Amino acid sequence: MAGSFEKLLLDILDDPIKLLGAVAGAVCLLALMVFSRGIFFYLRLMFLNLRRNLVRTGLTSVASMLLVFVVTLVWTILWFLNIVTSEKSKDFKAIVSEKWQIPSQMPFAYQANLSEGAYSKEGDYKIDTTKDSMTWQFYGATIDPEKRTRENIIFFFGMEPLKVTKMLDGMEEYSKEQLMELEKLCAEMVKDKRKIIVGKERLEAINKRVGERIKLTSLNYKGIDLEVEIVGSFPEGRYNQSAVLNRDYLNDAIDAYNRQNPGTKHPMTNKSLNLVWIRVPDSATFQKVEKQITESPSFTSPAVKCETASSGIATFLDAYRDLLWGLRWILAPFILATMALIIAVAISISVRERRREIAVMKVLGFMPYQVLILVLGEAIMVGALSGLGSSLATYWMINDYFGGLKFPIAFFPIFTIPSDALWWGPAIGVGTGLAGSLLPSLGACRVKVSEVFARIS
Amino acid sequence: MGLLEKMSIVLGVIFAITFLLAFVGKIPLNYNIRNLVVRWPITLMTAMAFTLVVGVLIVMLAFVNGMYKLTESSGHSENVFVLSDGATDEIFSNLGYRDIGEIEFNPGVLRDSSNKPLASWETYVIVNQPIPLHARKGDRRRRFLQVRGILDPARSGIVHHIGLKSGVWFSTGDEGGGVREVTLNEQGKEPRKVPATEVVLGAGIARELGPDYYKTALDAGDVFTMGDKYWYVAGVMDSAGSTFDSEIWAKWKTVAERFGKESYTTVVLKTRDKEAASATAVDLVKNYKKSALQAYIETDYYERLNSTNKQFLVAIIFVAIIVAVGGVFGIMNTMFAAISQRSKDIGVLRIIGFAPWQILFSFFLEAIILSFLGGALGCLVGSFADGFTASSIMSSGAGGGKSILLKLTVDLKMILGGILFSVAMGMVGGLVPALGAMRLKPLESLR
Amino acid sequence: MASEILVKVDGLTKFFTRGSEKIEVLDNLSLNVGVGEFLALMGPSGSGKTTLLNIIAGLDTPSSGLVKVGENIISTMSESQLAAWRTRHVGFVFQFYHLLPVLTAYENVELPLLLLPISAAERKKQVMTALDLVGLTSRNSHRPGQLSGGQQQRVGIARAIVTDPDLIVADEPTGDLDSKSAEEILDLMTLLKNSLRKTIIMVTHDPKAASRAERILHLEKGKLVSETISPLVKT
Repeated sequence: MAGSFEKLLLDILDDPIKLLGAVAGAVCLLALMVFSRGIFFYLRLMFLNLRRNLVRTGLTSVASMLLVFVVTLVWTILWFLNIVTSEKSKDFKAIVSEKWQIPSQMPFAYQANLSEGAYSKEGDYKIDTTKDSMTWQFYGATIDPEKRTRENIIFFFGMEPLKVTKMLDGMEEYSKEQLMELEKLCAEMVKDKRKIIVGKERLEAINKRVGERIKLTSLNYKGIDLEVEIVGSFPEGRYNQSAVLNRDYLNDAIDAYNRQNPGTKHPMTNKSLNLVWIRVPDSATFQKVEKQITESPSFTSPAVKCETASSGIATFLDAYRDLLWGLRWILAPFILATMALIIAVAISISVRERRREIAVMKVLGFMPYQVLILVLGEAIMVGALSGLGSSLATYWMINDYFGGLKFPIAFFPIFTIPSDALWWGPAIGVGTGLAGSLLPSLGACRVKVSEVFARIS
Repeated sequence: MGLLEKMSIVLGVIFAITFLLAFVGKIPLNYNIRNLVVRWPITLMTAMAFTLVVGVLIVMLAFVNGMYKLTESSGHSENVFVLSDGATDEIFSNLGYRDIGEIEFNPGVLRDSSNKPLASWETYVIVNQPIPLHARKGDRRRRFLQVRGILDPARSGIVHHIGLKSGVWFSTGDEGGGVREVTLNEQGKEPRKVPATEVVLGAGIARELGPDYYKTALDAGDVFTMGDKYWYVAGVMDSAGSTFDSEIWAKWKTVAERFGKESYTTVVLKTRDKEAASATAVDLVKNYKKSALQAYIETDYYERLNSTNKQFLVAIIFVAIIVAVGGVFGIMNTMFAAISQRSKDIGVLRIIGFAPWQILFSFFLEAIILSFLGGALGCLVGSFADGFTASSIMSSGAGGGKSILLKLTVDLKMILGGILFSVAMGMVGGLVPALGAMRLKPLESLR
Repeated sequence: MASEILVKVDGLTKFFTRGSEKIEVLDNLSLNVGVGEFLALMGPSGSGKTTLLNIIAGLDTPSSGLVKVGENIISTMSESQLAAWRTRHVGFVFQFYHLLPVLTAYENVELPLLLLPISAAERKKQVMTALDLVGLTSRNSHRPGQLSGGQQQRVGIARAIVTDPDLIVADEPTGDLDSKSAEEILDLMTLLKNSLRKTIIMVTHDPKAASRAERILHLEKGKLVSETISPLVKT
């Protein structure tokens, strides 16, 4: 249950900037309290005013929390996609694929030299193929050829098992123990090429357990059916729906098919390599390697292209551009505006009920700006606290309870609420509280002092 | 949708009864309306919250509605859609002509006046295209073009009910046919003659490609590059509202050679009607021995592609429910405050002789009126989304998927739904405070 | 009459315009209030007595004329200058007490002190002194809702004197109280005048309350119509 919070704490301790930010924030707050006369009084007065109508404060706060929840989910998706599509300058991955066609299909013979970054002569940059490259061969299969439902289908990345922990994205999300466990599984796959790793949810969907052997009937490699043994699962997370197959097993099976059927080659023989991933240390190296690859005479039929992973992903996400635009610029702002309005209604009502009190404060010498701060402060307090509460609850609930936000976009099946989201909530609360209370608080500071003497008689 | 309609009916009935009671039951409605007007800033803000909630809901639904409309109008129920067995979508399908050449002679397939079967033989490929620097929006560097190699475009047009907006179908002559020599006038270069292959474009993709060549849209006579070849636009299809709007149709042989896919991905067969299509599909799957096939009524195939829509719809409903709770709490605040400010008024009304239930209904109605106004305005705001074009993706959820251009569509049903949704929020949010108002003791509230 | 003058009002005129109509509330009015004087303002509704009080207390500004309180000419001050001036120089007592319901008696009294640059320890001392003076030390943690009307008004008086102002203005301070509590409040005000030498201006309808003042001014239609010197003072 406390898993993600522990990680969060470690995150903060690890990241000097975050740590510095947290410390600086605390110091500023403390300084404000110590050096600003009556700050405690203001805070207390705000708090007491919020407490006087618990129903109203409660309704406003719960409504705010729900809206922050939705915005956090939306922003999580946008935030994540933004990260994976923004170009990095250091230590990033690039994808080599067929130049013109989707899906990319290249001869497997390409892989040896492509993995080296098409190294051909002295002076070329050579990728370290033991750790900085990986190949992907997609192998889709059903476990029940009679019933080809979605539940029965497994979609494999055929790859070198040892590259799983070295090259796959998102490995940094796992703990040290989880990674070690995964490495062990991969080592077993090397020993026995029939062994596969299947994500927890996929395993559940096909209703199989670790240790079971299953017979696969391929969908895209017709006639190349494999018998495999499930050796284990990925740790909980983004690979819950994925599966990994030792590429040697697939390639050996293709060779065997071609030996057994002399004269006819399996149609996928020269199309079995889908992607090659390489890791480069910086942009300059990337450009060099890209040039090596695209100018190499070995890769012309079909021609290949090399692009950064982020740019490749961005192209795939392009189909979603209007949808994501709508999330970013329509849904989220509308919800934020709704939240501001709900806070505005609550604060307006409360100011209306307290006109007389506000007038008395002004009579006693409180300046309009002090009244303004008091009212703004109430709104900000309710907004920030609700926002913080909502963020914490969302963070825990989505990450630890539901195991992530399941909203498949392109090849991202699941989104994890980032630790950055913990400041979104309070920030949204402060922002919408401020926006919502601006008008009512201006109204409050315009209350006429002479209203105190207005009599009923 | 069934549940949604039932709920709307229930809500409508409650709404009608409440209003009927308002008129028959001598409820001091004027008093409530006057109060809404007097407290206009709070009334306005509460109604605005409803406007936003309903407005954004309508926009989201317009998007999904547009997707459903697109899938509906892309498929035709008298067509049989054939893929190879095991392919989750067109892009993964492999139909060798030698193996399946005979399927168009299935007795269910209609024939044209020259007694040739009405079958569309197609190869669907997706092509990567770099976007020229000047036409890039943001950091988008490439786009995917959906190219369909077509044996006989006019025939495919008949099968898919698609005509041309401008120009002509590309010619399908033998070797060398369908390629013409064009003169290129590239900036900063000498004009030169190059061979260009004829294609027809969907209107949507014609607009998408236009900016590459400093135009709003490509039209018949234009030339563009794809892969490392030149292509000549013979015509633009009248394809709005279907998935073909985002497609490029080219001569099958050229596509097969150029993109190395020497088999068909898709065959669409025209039959008499839906029953015939269904029978033909079953017949092909069961009795066609040369190759294992999947065959669907075309509309069913597109229905399968709706899983993305369903995913969106679920997400929208989820968001709507959560946001609705927010809206409900907002109006509760307003109504609780309205009642506590007017507790003296309520006392007076009770002493004059109004019954508790009349007080209840008067405040209940006040909440409903407030939410109705906000919701109606929200529908109006949301309606502005109608007609906008948006890109999206359509997939069966098992990989693949088509990029599509859809038109956001707001219809009367959605408007009604939006208003009812808003009124429902008003009812839920207004009921508790109204019950509170009903329970006020007249003398105590006068103190 | 006291020799030193605290409040000097000279040629004070106040009018409102409603549409094209000009409503004269105070008409060329002049008066002086001495240091330590207890003055009552009486008059029918609409006579302008509350407006006069508002202007002297710096809550409203005159249309023309001079108002000088102590060394300060307040008739020409801006609103924010007035606010700062009020905090230091004027204490207010209201008919409906106007305590903040969420704050305790102690905190209500403390409220005006928060606007002055004094230490927390000093604040506490002054609040306790004021509460002690009105006899409510034991009730300092009660909220207004837990106090009787008379007790609330005593908290109000404590709040009015906690900043040690020269001038205390009271608007119908006994208007909402039973006669026993009213008597106690008036005793308290007399005490303020006598032992602390506070100048008090009180608006009231109640002749009994007015009779506790040294001098009673009667207003009608914005003009001073008569002046009564209280018998108490004569003796």
